[in-house]
Amino acid sequence: MEAMDQRVNPEITRLLNAKTERRQQLAALSYAEKVRIVVQLQSMAAPILRRRGKAAVVWNLENEVEG
Amino acid sequence: MERTLQVLNWLEKEGIFGRYAIGGAMGATFYVEPLLTFDLDIFVLLPETASGLLTLTPLYEVLLERGYKVEGECVNIEGVPVQFLPVYNALLEEALDEAADTHYEKTPTRILRAEHLVAICLQTGRAKDRQRVQLFVEEAALDEAKLSDILTRHGLEAKWKQWISE
Repeated sequence: MEAMDQRVNPEITRLLNAKTERRQQLAALSYAEKVRIVVQLQSMAAPILRRRGKAAVVWNLENEVEG
Repeated sequence: MERTLQVLNWLEKEGIFGRYAIGGAMGATFYVEPLLTFDLDIFVLLPETASGLLTLTPLYEVLLERGYKVEGECVNIEGVPVQFLPVYNALLEEALDEAADTHYEKTPTRILRAEHLVAICLQTGRAKDRQRVQLFVEEAALDEAKLSDILTRHGLEAKWKQWISE
């Protein structure tokens, strides 16, 4: 058992560290980039929520102000 | 969302409400990883009515006149469901007063400060607020002195200690 832990634990630690690092990278994005990700999340979650009878409107960012 | 914020800026300029700032999940998203939400929570300082009651009716009337539709608790403004939340206690008033000026793309806007968002989560106290506080601790650069000051003044220290120790 101890031998297995020695093999698995470093891999789990690496995966958890990578997850933390990914979340910190996401936190460091610009607000506009984060808003675009939120809308992507909405697109993924909305069909599931609608099937459960919950209202879920995906934001329409297509009419954003043009630079 | 940029056009939505431009409408909010116009409403503030016209005096329909006194001041606004983004809060809730979209406020938190400014400081931590993107959080799934379907509405944009906007904290607003409403003008006082003769009766002293807080009412969103004049704001809704202006928005309806401009063709925006009410969807449940929200008004859909330029493709984004906006939920207006009048500030109703000392913590929210302070949070709105000290909200940070920023820009979304090229449009100026305001977002509640991270330390106030943490305090509001503690005060609200739902399961998702607890998760959000954890995200702030892990991912946001919280000003510990400022947070401590806010929590002390609004009687939230004990809850903070309880939440971060569990």
